[in-house]
Amino acid sequence: MKALILGVDGQDGSYLAELLLDQGYQVVGWIPKTIPVRLDHLQACIAHLTMVEGDLSHQASLNACMEEHQPDEIYCLAAPSAPYASWGNPVMVGDVAALGVARLLEAVRQMVPKACFYQASSSELFGDPLETPQSENTPFRPRNPYGVAKLYAHWMTVRYREQYGLHTVSGILFNHESPRRGLEFVTRKITHSAARIKLGLQDKLYLGDLESRRDWGFAGDYVRAMWMMLHHQPAADFVIGTGQTHAVREFCELAFATLDLDYREYVVQDERFMRPPETHQLVADPHKACYELGWQPQTSFAELVRLMVEADWRSLANADERG
Amino acid sequence: MKKALITGITGQDGSYLAELLLSQGYEVHGLIRRASTFNTQRIDHIYRDPHNGGNLYLHYGDLANAGNMTDLIYSVRPDEVYHLAAQSHVRVSFDLPEYTGDITGLGTIRILEAIRRSGIPARYYQASSSEMFGSAKPPQNEATVFQPQSPYAAAKVYSYWVTRNYREGYNMFACNGILFNHESPRRGETFVTRKITRALAAIVAGKQDSLYLGNLDAKRDWGYAPDYVAAMWKMLQLDHPDDFVIGTGEAHSVREFLDEAFGYLGLEWQKYVQIDARYFRPTEVDYLLSDYSKAHNVLHWEPRVFFRDLVRVMVDADLELIGLQSPGEGRKILETHHGRWHRWEDQILHPEG
Repeated sequence: MKALILGVDGQDGSYLAELLLDQGYQVVGWIPKTIPVRLDHLQACIAHLTMVEGDLSHQASLNACMEEHQPDEIYCLAAPSAPYASWGNPVMVGDVAALGVARLLEAVRQMVPKACFYQASSSELFGDPLETPQSENTPFRPRNPYGVAKLYAHWMTVRYREQYGLHTVSGILFNHESPRRGLEFVTRKITHSAARIKLGLQDKLYLGDLESRRDWGFAGDYVRAMWMMLHHQPAADFVIGTGQTHAVREFCELAFATLDLDYREYVVQDERFMRPPETHQLVADPHKACYELGWQPQTSFAELVRLMVEADWRSLANADERG
Repeated sequence: MKKALITGITGQDGSYLAELLLSQGYEVHGLIRRASTFNTQRIDHIYRDPHNGGNLYLHYGDLANAGNMTDLIYSVRPDEVYHLAAQSHVRVSFDLPEYTGDITGLGTIRILEAIRRSGIPARYYQASSSEMFGSAKPPQNEATVFQPQSPYAAAKVYSYWVTRNYREGYNMFACNGILFNHESPRRGETFVTRKITRALAAIVAGKQDSLYLGNLDAKRDWGYAPDYVAAMWKMLQLDHPDDFVIGTGEAHSVREFLDEAFGYLGLEWQKYVQIDARYFRPTEVDYLLSDYSKAHNVLHWEPRVFFRDLVRVMVDADLELIGLQSPGEGRKILETHHGRWHRWEDQILHPEG
């Protein structure tokens, strides 16, 4: 079996590449030609990947990629995951996260119509939801240009399945974290800062609303859900999440405690990072994935926090020793 | 004098809206696409008419080009922007999904971003569509959940949400008009209503003997385009921006349209119409029916021309266009129901201008 992963350089792409290689897949890793990418997350597996460059803005580039590699499975994880930042460059976000997927679906239809296609949708589709928790039947109410672009991509994925009978699925994933999460995300910001504070590299950590709650899972569990989804018959869309929420405060408490620190001495709530409060809590109702896919998260919240803190501590401590 | 910018001014809605705004003393600016074929016949009569006092200006531009949109907003400095331009054909969107997404979807965010960056406090109208409802259970209103069934509808859903996001995120005065099907003698020739009335006229004139159609059972809420452009204008005159469903509250099938159109001339459509599977959409939207009570209550808007009269207006116009006498009920309907800005003569638009 041969899989093509678009956005293989990211958190999810790298975990997925490892998972598929473990299962004996031939993996083609796609990265954008037009934006510089870092391959840090691929250290462990890059030797086993076929790397290709391409451009989501050009149909011909995507068609050529499909024609050359003839993948059996395609995972579209390539859009920049930056909901709030999308206000700054909404047209570019639309071109990649929305139109890029339309082009990709066309490339699949024209070149490899038997392939299975996974679209990385996100809980940003629900945005400002009218009900809690959110399932596959919850109406979408995106509230930033990123969420709107993802919504378009979701509907196009559904349309290609229903119109052309292609095996295309949309996975609506809630927040999923790991040591490979970008530093701009609150979870990684906490674990990275906690490790720096422990090492005396930093004094304080400034955060927004500590009572803000999220449904956080471990990215490694979620890429397994992607793979399971793509192998489910008939093709269908699934919500993936833990179904539980935790406050930013709880995350801080556990993260600092892992390093024998008391978060209250270091964490400062800063009005500048505050966002307007959500009217309805974003939290997954993952029952369909549980019953139909047999998927369940295997990493608890406490384990997730610990593994992120330990990874940050190890890499910072090593760097510190090297001087 | 208020200034309005209309994208899609050469289209059915754009041309009627331009007439309405000019009659109210607006200075009207239209965005047109440079194309190798001549496509301004719907506005040529306005352009020529000295009563407009030279208040209509046309600008070449491309919705696919963000820089174009920014320049246009800066140079026109409009008070109101009506974004009507789109790749608007549902069936064609299946063949051109990327192009449809780029123009019908991303074109919207290019304009909204151009307005925002310009700092000009223009009010914005987004031409949303009942196609967004897709397979949602009728009747559909502002609270109905979208179920888009085509690349066109998905692109319109994108535009609907970016419009709401810009309203809520930046406090822009931005409205979505969710318009159900609206027809007129200026409707494009590939849309089913116009296809029927044109073919009927050609059959009567002895220039054609059959008409090929797709699904006759699809039900639509068909209104009259000039009524609908008045609703667009009303939305932008509100104190607070909001979204509105605009329709007639009646649904009729393509079969009923045939009954009404051929019946008006005493003909039986069954003798002329053939079914061609090529005109079926890959996924069909079966039943669209508006609940426009919010527009009634808040905008004080009501349709003036309903299904039966709409068919008569269109049949009369196509008969006269082909050079035949019409029974004349269509002309009477317009004289009874519409103000001075909307004249019968302007409905008979010859392709050569």
